Amino acid sequence: MPVNLTANAIAAINGGDVNAKPLVQVLDIKLIGSSQERYRFLLSDAVATQHAMLATQLNDRVKTGRVRKGSVIQLIEYICSTVQNRKIIVVLNMETIILDCDVIGNPRVSEFDLLPEKPLSSGPQPSVNNSVAGAQNSSRTSYNNVKTSSSLNQGGNIQSFRPTVQPPYQPPPNYKNHGAIMRNEAPARIIPIAALNPYQGRWAIKARVTAKGDLRRYNNARGDGKVFSFDLLDSDGGEIRVTCFNAVVDRFYDTIEVGKVYVISKGSLKPAQKNFNHLKNEWEIFLETTSSVDLCPDEDTSIPKQQFSFRPISEIANAESNSILDIIGVVVTVNPSVPIMRKNGMETQRRILNLKDQSGLTVELTLWGDFCNREGQQLHDMVEAGIFPILAVKAGKVNDFSGKSIGTISATQLFINPDSAEAAGLRNWFDRGGKDTASHSITKEAILGGMKNETRKCLTQIKDEGLGRSDKADWIAVKATVSFIKTDSFCYTACPLMIGDRQCNKKVTKSGNSAWLCDRCNQEFEECDYRYLLQVQIQDYSGMTWVTAFQEAGEEIFGCSAKELYVWKNEMQDDLKYLEVVQNCLFREFIFKLKIKEEIYGDEQKLKITVVKADKLNYSEESRFLFDSISKRHMATY
Amino acid sequence: MDTSNPAAFVNAELLRMYVGRRVRAVIQVLRNDGGSIFGKSTDEQELVVKGHPPNPPTTFVEVIGIADSNRSIQAEIWTNFGDNFDVSSYNTICQLANGDFKHLFI
Repeated sequence: MPVNLTANAIAAINGGDVNAKPLVQVLDIKLIGSSQERYRFLLSDAVATQHAMLATQLNDRVKTGRVRKGSVIQLIEYICSTVQNRKIIVVLNMETIILDCDVIGNPRVSEFDLLPEKPLSSGPQPSVNNSVAGAQNSSRTSYNNVKTSSSLNQGGNIQSFRPTVQPPYQPPPNYKNHGAIMRNEAPARIIPIAALNPYQGRWAIKARVTAKGDLRRYNNARGDGKVFSFDLLDSDGGEIRVTCFNAVVDRFYDTIEVGKVYVISKGSLKPAQKNFNHLKNEWEIFLETTSSVDLCPDEDTSIPKQQFSFRPISEIANAESNSILDIIGVVVTVNPSVPIMRKNGMETQRRILNLKDQSGLTVELTLWGDFCNREGQQLHDMVEAGIFPILAVKAGKVNDFSGKSIGTISATQLFINPDSAEAAGLRNWFDRGGKDTASHSITKEAILGGMKNETRKCLTQIKDEGLGRSDKADWIAVKATVSFIKTDSFCYTACPLMIGDRQCNKKVTKSGNSAWLCDRCNQEFEECDYRYLLQVQIQDYSGMTWVTAFQEAGEEIFGCSAKELYVWKNEMQDDLKYLEVVQNCLFREFIFKLKIKEEIYGDEQKLKITVVKADKLNYSEESRFLFDSISKRHMATY
Repeated sequence: MDTSNPAAFVNAELLRMYVGRRVRAVIQVLRNDGGSIFGKSTDEQELVVKGHPPNPPTTFVEVIGIADSNRSIQAEIWTNFGDNFDVSSYNTICQLANGDFKHLFI
């Protein structure tokens, strides 16, 4: 049964032989790594031992127990790099030959192999130096030369020996000083993008460009600069972003084309900037002038053109605001493009369209900028012609302003009628009846109050139950009476112009003597609109609270429009009428639908309660509701 | 407010429990005689209410008075309740007010 491990396997690998496919034994497996899970093996060839990192794509071999401590494995694909004067092997592919096996031979394990693990970057531990009596090893060449002087049994008491230092290992004369390995000119092996990490020695990847960013110029304390990025996808589905600065931009900007496959090597690996980089990789490649980018002219069909992870619209309803995701759906409506003034004073285009998928739900997709005129116009024309195309969105941003909607960002890519299984499935579903199924929009839902019947609560429950404190707002219904309204300022001057299908409603300022100016629409006009903005105190049997009410609720409470009230108060000097209206609304009972959310104003937390709707009491319904409550409570006491 | 002689909420069925005592009921006016009203109680049975009905009465009228038989009330106070009234809710109130929650009313 005992099998022979490949003699001198460790020495050979350290010497640069990465083709031998040796048999070695795994003496130890440790999980290390802070952000990314990495396994570190201690490999033995029966005589010598060496640490090896397992490439992440093989992680589940350990997790599923296909390789364990004691396993004899054959290394199929592996490389050896030098990190901080230590040689680290990286195993890219291996096969387990024997799952469980006693320790073969008498491998020499150095003391700090058995110390608790630490991430590679920290290097040798200081405690090792202290315990090595008299042997100051300030410069470590290859650590596997620290041999134990006494014999070591694997399960035994390992603290008792003291390591002594022997002369540094010299590679056999063949590998000394000359040869491709030393000068590092041999072509690097192609490794999967998922295996890339900063501790990698030489690497090369072969991948397709899925996105190419614009050339951006910037200006900072160090002067002017330019930068551009592009995204890569390889045959294993790994993705990574590549960024070039300044002179490097000139070298590669014109070479890189979306859709083409390149072999890239000699770049540096740094942590990805999560703000801009939405790819699933913790690293990002930065190219230098010494990097190489070689076009692969032959078509590599093993690398997909694009990689999506589509979420059904039903999942978007629960997605976190500002998260980035991919969606695919049938375009059912396309609105005209409208100009929007941005905060920085620049004007851009906005176009809203609706996507529907097999969940029967629709979601609003907002196109910004160039998307409006390119894909937006194309989609518009198609829908006008009665064709409802499939649209795939890569890297759209979730917005929760009104229900959930998706908006484009600079990194977004749109694909009309893409060639994919999901698109085909959608087309099939839509044409066979999906078109006519009732649609429910997740975008308008929140404003209309979601379900028809919000939970009924009393006012003190707001405080008692800590409503509004979680990430999402709480929506409740209360039956309460208006006890006071602040009337010094009950409305504001609003912009009446239409933006697409909605009224602007932004507060307008006086310009000159008679005109009004809206900053957003950048227009002046004679007549402005008046919209309610009320601070109302409401009370019920349990307590009272202040709420803010807007136009709709205001009209329900007062029974007249904000404009009429404004006119009575200020222009016609008809104080009597004004007072009468105000008096009449006091002590009227309503069912208020409230939106409760705690918000930060400066440095304090304030509970903001907004009236979404104010409904007059329907006595029949309310009676039935009360009877129901009575019977519920009554049952409870028995 | 004089709470010494509370009027019990009744429909036709509960009226018999309060003969000779003060009651209140909402009646749907079927026939108006000038001196009395033939009406339908909230549990769909006919009652006679004597007294001075309002002129004109609306479809629904509330009467408060003494029950003088298990089918008639001698009303002292009449109030027009309009033409829209939720009869079933009122009927439920009558049942609750004389059943489990009687202690809240009488």
